[in-house]
Amino acid sequence: MSRMHDVGGADGFGPIVEEPDEPPFHSDWEAHVFAMNRALVAGGVYNLDEFRDAVEQLPGYLTSSYYENWFNAMCALLVRKGVLSADEVDHVPGG
Amino acid sequence: MFQVGDRVRTSAAAVPHHTRLPAYARGCAGTVVGVEGRWPLADARAQGAVVVQPVYTVRFSASELFGAGSHSVTLSMWEEYLT
Amino acid sequence: MTHSSSPLAARVRHVEALLESRGLVDPVELDRALEAFLARASPANGARIVARAWVSDEFRARLLDDAGAALADVGLSMGGGLQVQRLCVVENTPAVHNVVVCTLCSCYPIALLGPSPTWYKSPAYRAQVVRDPRGVLESFGFSPDGEIAVWDANAETRYMVLPMRPGGTEGWDEERLAGLVTRNGLIGVAPV
Repeated sequence: MSRMHDVGGADGFGPIVEEPDEPPFHSDWEAHVFAMNRALVAGGVYNLDEFRDAVEQLPGYLTSSYYENWFNAMCALLVRKGVLSADEVDHVPGG
Repeated sequence: MFQVGDRVRTSAAAVPHHTRLPAYARGCAGTVVGVEGRWPLADARAQGAVVVQPVYTVRFSASELFGAGSHSVTLSMWEEYLT
Repeated sequence: MTHSSSPLAARVRHVEALLESRGLVDPVELDRALEAFLARASPANGARIVARAWVSDEFRARLLDDAGAALADVGLSMGGGLQVQRLCVVENTPAVHNVVVCTLCSCYPIALLGPSPTWYKSPAYRAQVVRDPRGVLESFGFSPDGEIAVWDANAETRYMVLPMRPGGTEGWDEERLAGLVTRNGLIGVAPV
């Protein structure tokens, strides 16, 4: 059984859509997820393969946006590593 | 250890953990076209372990990978992915 | 921006605040690192490398042999990445056209070229380009002559394409040549 990320050669993903003049990030939160992930890997909280492993196991891998997957994988790893509890991650003020 | 020009075959088995051997390239025959040095095996590092192995650049024909096509696809293979 | 971006933005701010309270991230340092990364890593770096290779056969030979080492000539490096990576530059010729993908995630020479475009990371591109590269290139309006070589960056090597120098550019200096090179050309879905 392959994981959902392992798409090479598969059919059914539809057309490739190019965004003209695409910026590096579409919003601040994407840039912050990118920067936080770099800081956590550089700080040795987890390594890149652990991160990829976590992305690959996300139930919403194929339906969420790229950086949404990054954020969800980052949160899953922070909980698994005991850095944050699931309760505090889920308890968004005003959310 | 393999050398440039060697014919190799990738592991056919799916593994129940993170790996960098894509499913489409499993159980396929290719040719070593380069040697990339020794690198930590991604499968092990995803599980918190350090296992360093030689990595080879391996070229496959599209017909071998997909049963059709005239192009080639080149991938990197840690030693344990190959026989 | 996606519809979900607003609640998501709140969740990201929340987790960032938690990490700050644990001393794991410093928002000021995060902004500084992001700014420095975006200032350093951009497709313009790839364009400079390509232009130098077009004007210097000696540089081109070293670039194709050991791209990481040759980068120093143009004041660049593969440093700044999170894990050590090897850069490999693959040269288009009349006989072979190269195109780059990472079918398993989104590997790309990000420390050198900046973030890759969304289409490069999309399952649609990753799925199709290894099986039907000519169909993918046609969807980009490009039908190269010669054979197609696809490079799947599935390990620690990151690939960049060296496009062919367009005709009619004899005598151009490096800066003017660099202006012709696009990010899509460096991935291999455009001629230059």
